[in-house]
Amino acid sequence: MKRDRESKVRDLRFSALGVYLQGMKTSLASRMAYRGDFIMSMFIMMIVEFAGPLITWIIYSNGASFPGWNQYEVLLLQGIFLLSRGISFPFFMGIVWNTIGRVQEGTFDLLLIKPRSILLMSIATAFDSEDLGKLIGGILIFRIALKNLPPQPLSHWISFMVLFLFSLIMMFAFGLFMSGLGIVWVGNYRIYDIFMTVMEFGMYPKSIFSKSFQSILTYVIPVSLLASHPASALLGSVDGTVLPALFSSVIFLLLGIAFYFKMVKNYTSAGG
Amino acid sequence: MIHVSDLRKVYTAYERGSSFGEALLSLIVRKKKTVEAVRGISFDIEEGELVGFLGPNGAGKSTTIKILTGILYPTSGTVDVMGFTPWKERKKYVRHIGAVFGQKSQLLWDIPPLDAFYLNQAIYRIPDREFKKTVNDMIEMLDLKDLVKKPTRQLSLGERMKCEFIMAMLHKPSIVFLDEPTIGLDVIAKGKIRDFILEQNKKGTTFILTTHDLEDVEQLAKRVIVINHGDIVFDGNMEKLKLHLGDKRTVHITAREKINLENNGGIVVRKQSSDYEIEVELDLSVVKLDEFIHKVNEESKIRDLSVEGPDLEEIIKKLYTA
Repeated sequence: MKRDRESKVRDLRFSALGVYLQGMKTSLASRMAYRGDFIMSMFIMMIVEFAGPLITWIIYSNGASFPGWNQYEVLLLQGIFLLSRGISFPFFMGIVWNTIGRVQEGTFDLLLIKPRSILLMSIATAFDSEDLGKLIGGILIFRIALKNLPPQPLSHWISFMVLFLFSLIMMFAFGLFMSGLGIVWVGNYRIYDIFMTVMEFGMYPKSIFSKSFQSILTYVIPVSLLASHPASALLGSVDGTVLPALFSSVIFLLLGIAFYFKMVKNYTSAGG
Repeated sequence: MIHVSDLRKVYTAYERGSSFGEALLSLIVRKKKTVEAVRGISFDIEEGELVGFLGPNGAGKSTTIKILTGILYPTSGTVDVMGFTPWKERKKYVRHIGAVFGQKSQLLWDIPPLDAFYLNQAIYRIPDREFKKTVNDMIEMLDLKDLVKKPTRQLSLGERMKCEFIMAMLHKPSIVFLDEPTIGLDVIAKGKIRDFILEQNKKGTTFILTTHDLEDVEQLAKRVIVINHGDIVFDGNMEKLKLHLGDKRTVHITAREKINLENNGGIVVRKQSSDYEIEVELDLSVVKLDEFIHKVNEESKIRDLSVEGPDLEEIIKKLYTA
């Protein structure tokens, strides 16, 4: 019985999740070597993320509004957007910086000589603790918005959870495209800026955009899944465009995976 | 153990001039250039060998090593290492190899090497008991003691390099690729690292050593492969390498009386500091060493004499510039 339990623990430690957790542990230990900088960076990350909700507050304080959304509904959407970033950035979006940096300095090779998926190695060595500030900010705004909105039934919460999972999948797909580009487009940190700009569209209700642009945000690059659709699901106002958006997000993820591994195959390494 | 046949790697590189105008132009139009980094090389390495892989910068040795470690895909050719094709079965294959890069650290700067070892334990699925034993054995062999518990940034270069070796060999690889493992180290640290490599090699680990340090090559490698312009220009043991430019010796003589030696039949005067001191190169296929010494002693009364083997640096230089 005891041996059985020990073997289960060992299996977990050596699983992909175990490697990831060990990577996270070493990364945290590494970052905490500079405590002052660590705490300040986390705090700054949180403050910076309040910019979007602050604009919303200014808009609504001046009598303007986003059509079809009241102030706390928009805050809820932005809280969800921050939650999505707050989970994805520290836990797996670090892959983008990690890949771009390692390819540039030639240490991507060190990940390729490990007997694990290169994707797992890139994520496991990229845990970004500073971005936990985004998560704290997201939880705060989400909580404030919920407190000021009527309670939602369980069915809304379930739909929300499903769509929020797709929001994280979208983030991951974005990460794969950016990292893939970082492998062949050596040292191009602007990749990250392009990604951030595209993602910003997800911070506002999609109803504020023109019909044609809404179609792009739903069917081509389903950014609306990042926050707009999950927020609508929680508020019980999800529309029929959600299903095509879900389908697009799955396609987007599959394309992201294929693109990433194709780029790994084209990796040329740095000189000796 | 390693079989390489007709291996080729061709890159497409972009040329950009050095002037500002050319740099500006390169934003719009870039000139493509095809670089043949490896040109159809073939070689075999047996289990337990310690092979020196030499070549000038840009010769293609790093590209070859990166293909052998599964990092790069070749353009054509076949590679079979322990039954694996490295780039096709990378995950399964790299479990059996280790690598130490003198200029790329696998350790984490702000945390102790021991923490980095734990990360490798999870990656390579090393059971606790085996992990502890290997780490302790290697710490003892490399004389590291509690240093593995200090943050990496507080360790000296030599201590860090020793930890890199532990990191690379925790999973007991059958083949270890070493890229400049002694770069920047002092003589004592170099000696310790070389002893460790020899000891592991005696236990059966195959080593492939890439280096520019010829002392490493002389002291470690039993066989040398020299690559230049993407081709193998030499493949043989150290003795064969030393005879590559002929069986030559450098003789330094100080005598009591004047030395009268001139360049002729197998004798080349390399340096004459005074009438009583001379350095000559002898081609032993033409001149017999004992007869030469006897003749000089008769004529000039030798006071001091030293005989040095062939100059490896000279031989390598010739191979690189050939």
